[in-house]
Amino acid sequence: MLRWFEKAETSSGNIVYSRIRLARNWDGHMFPQKLSDEEGLDLVKRLEFGLKDLTQDDGRTYEYALLNDLKDLDRQALRERRILNSGTVAKKSPVGIILSEDEATSIVLNGDDHIRLQILAPGLHLEELWQRADRLDDYINARFPYAFDEKYGYLTSYPTNTGTGLRACAILHLPTLSMGKKFSNMLAELSRFGVTIRGVYGEGSENYGALYEVANQKTLGQSEKEIVELVTKIARQLDAQERKVRRMALENHRLEREDEAYKSYGILKYARRLTRKDAMIFLSQLMAGMADRLIRTEEPCSVYRLMLGIQTANLQKLSSKPLNQEELDVARAAYLRRELPLLREQIS
Amino acid sequence: MLCEKCRIREANIKYTEIINGVKKEHNLCSQCAREMDFTGYSAIFDGEFPLGKLLSGLLGVGEEEEQQEDKLAQVVCPTCGTSYEEFVKNSRFGCSDCYSVFDLLMSDNIKKLQGGDAHVGKRPKYQKMQPASAVLEKDEEPSRRTAKEQIELLKAKLSTAIAEEEYEQAAKYRDEIRELEKEENQDA
Ligand SMILES: [Zn+2]
Ligand SMILES: [Zn+2]
Repeated sequence: MLRWFEKAETSSGNIVYSRIRLARNWDGHMFPQKLSDEEGLDLVKRLEFGLKDLTQDDGRTYEYALLNDLKDLDRQALRERRILNSGTVAKKSPVGIILSEDEATSIVLNGDDHIRLQILAPGLHLEELWQRADRLDDYINARFPYAFDEKYGYLTSYPTNTGTGLRACAILHLPTLSMGKKFSNMLAELSRFGVTIRGVYGEGSENYGALYEVANQKTLGQSEKEIVELVTKIARQLDAQERKVRRMALENHRLEREDEAYKSYGILKYARRLTRKDAMIFLSQLMAGMADRLIRTEEPCSVYRLMLGIQTANLQKLSSKPLNQEELDVARAAYLRRELPLLREQIS
Repeated sequence: MLCEKCRIREANIKYTEIINGVKKEHNLCSQCAREMDFTGYSAIFDGEFPLGKLLSGLLGVGEEEEQQEDKLAQVVCPTCGTSYEEFVKNSRFGCSDCYSVFDLLMSDNIKKLQGGDAHVGKRPKYQKMQPASAVLEKDEEPSRRTAKEQIELLKAKLSTAIAEEEYEQAAKYRDEIRELEKEENQDA
């Protein structure tokens, strides 16, 4: 079965994927940080047991695992694919994970909170994702009463998540907009609307790949519906802005844009070694070229899948032995040569 | 000087952290500084926003606040043992009761950060249902707080109220404690 990010990209403009995350805690139990390893393991076991029939509820196949049983590399790879955050990867105490076959739905048990539910999907679909999360949340709640307070809503380890416990995110590809001088001002402006935006792979000019994540800043005093609508609206606006500057660039510099896309493809398809930085920069240019239909592959191709594929832990996982820096760069180039489809005959 | 966190890049940011009156100097590169997030910008996504640091430390502490800090330092959640200091350090709570113990302390700050201080939105549908653990061997009684535990919780809330100079609230808690203690003695 294909994982959600392996399915060929549907036309979703510059919005790569959406993400909904809910934080919940089981009433009457101390938060994970205060549990001993023994208590933590017991809690994970009970939660897993109570949720063992998830498949019957939504028809998806789920895998159940204890993070502590996984190799460090596998945990790192889960972080690269956004299933775990870095804090949870580093945790020594028992953490459980329930992961759907397509990796779009995941529930982390005894991580930052007792229960953290996450659903991902390509494109901008926060509304639908929230509806699914809402349903799954009820399913869990029917088995485990939640820590809830009239004033503070769903109680979470970090007071910054209390209230709805909801984080709604959209991940956007903004290669042209982010090069503009006013971009950083624009980001600062956005916080006035109650959203934060940050580079997925680093801050400022170091965010190679030009992927940006927009998310709601507040979880208290705003309903789930309002949060989802807000992030959707801001994501649409950023997408529209990016389209606008791209259209202008295309009108005035078509040759340069075309050249950039083909050169990027050429390097990615034929290079013998590639650093992560270079690979991300060229993949970003290819992504833009494909979205603008300047360049087309024979088969549909998800550039985001390739961006995930070239990350360190994934490459290490594909290799039979641990790789040093240079070997990694060689493995990265080999991966891209293998995975990048051929180009379609140019029509023009 | 090398960055104290990664020990790879040159440290170009120096900042002073004051927690409970203790000064600590840090030398960081800009990348690690960002990761430490004392500007409170990016880490909100993982819930690691330093609310605790917002309450104390980085905003600097005046003398008056320092006295208040001393009083607050004595507040401990009776259920999970989280102290005020621990909360400031980790920006996170240890259990649901922490919310009521540190309530007075949080309200203003959380409002500042969150924009509102009361929940609107979804409510749990099945709170009264029997937990799934019932089907496990270890039966889980939805725990009722004993009068003794209730008194402990109220005492912690009282300490916060006094430190925050919310005397009206404090008087209310004191009365509730007296009431409960009276009942306890009558029962005995
Ligand atoms: Zn550093
Ligand atoms: Zn507590």
